[in-house]
Amino acid sequence: MKEWLGLAARLLTGGVWIYAGAVKLADPYASVLAVRAYELLPGSVAEPVGYLLPPLEVVIGLALVAGLLTRGAAAVSALLFVAFIVGIASVWARGMEIDCGCFGGGGYDPDAASDYPWEIARDAALLLASLFVVWLPRTRLALDNLLFRRTTPTEGS
Amino acid sequence: MSKKTKAQERADRAAALLREQQAKERRRNILIVVAVVVVMIAVIGGGFLINAARDSSKDIDAAPAGSTDHGVAIGDPEAPHQVVIYEDFLCPYCGQLERASSDELDRLADEGKVYVDYRPFQLLPYDYSRESANAFAVVLDAAGPEVAKEFHDSLFADQPSEAGPFPDADWFVDKAVEAGAEEDAVRPGIENLEMGDWVTEATDAASAAGVDSTPVVLLDGEVYLDGRNMEELAENLIAELE
Repeated sequence: MKEWLGLAARLLTGGVWIYAGAVKLADPYASVLAVRAYELLPGSVAEPVGYLLPPLEVVIGLALVAGLLTRGAAAVSALLFVAFIVGIASVWARGMEIDCGCFGGGGYDPDAASDYPWEIARDAALLLASLFVVWLPRTRLALDNLLFRRTTPTEGS
Repeated sequence: MSKKTKAQERADRAAALLREQQAKERRRNILIVVAVVVVMIAVIGGGFLINAARDSSKDIDAAPAGSTDHGVAIGDPEAPHQVVIYEDFLCPYCGQLERASSDELDRLADEGKVYVDYRPFQLLPYDYSRESANAFAVVLDAAGPEVAKEFHDSLFADQPSEAGPFPDADWFVDKAVEAGAEEDAVRPGIENLEMGDWVTEATDAASAAGVDSTPVVLLDGEVYLDGRNMEELAENLIAELE
């Protein structure tokens, strides 16, 4: 049962990453602006981070959906969600009004403050789903199960 | 006795074979992990490089400061540094930049350290963006660059929110008069959007230069982005010019 729940968690988080990354691939400059809007990173660092995030999100999402290096991908996914939660909480605490840029967009948004709690809740739920996948030794319908198939009996079995 | 030894030997051989197979499997698994990780890093790295190559926001080919009809330049054209600022009167980051840098840039221009060209255009799809750029052009045309610069500073000092409410034509006229323009000379132009063509041309010129966001600050022809926010960017820019 847990292994099927693991599959569900993989498909959910992986699907969210693929979508979030894919919509950002279209416009790298918008992605840089979205990172810059958090005012956390200096200009010279915001730029590479803005270029890096969309392909990283897509690859992590594909790995999770396919069940490829599942636990590693889920660990990276969890780290990214922690970073995004910290980022959103920090702009909220500083009283800034920005679009989180989670699914494209980004930058100044006069009605942003009311979205922060919901964005943090969403990311926290996805963080938990990622941690669940990290914790599970294996999940159903994963490429890992084919790639790392046991060819020898283990001791005691 | 000998029978027992034989059985023992067989068991030892089987155990050795099993250990060898398990070691092989471990090696194979490590190889797979390494190979998959390498492929993932290559895909992410490729995406990174493609993104970096596709981002044309730094490829801006702006006319030198003071060389266009679509802005107001302050300071000595022979100053050691040139700054060009593309901006929209409504864009909040432009407002932050102006409020953080305007006084210091005025001073540095007075001291002959920089020649600054402010180029307003319409980036945002709001009437205020167009009306303010039009009013700026009317004031520039009717009262000259010094009054236009005052008017420009005053628009940013009292910048409305992007969410509105937006001021009316009288507000622009009052500000123009405060800046030093004659009311009769600017009121019709402001009320009837008489410099609408100027705004369109300024916007086309910015677009042709590669500007598709605001503010874009160029220091000696290069896009200047050094800072986490507009306040920091202004501070760093001022420090470079000192």
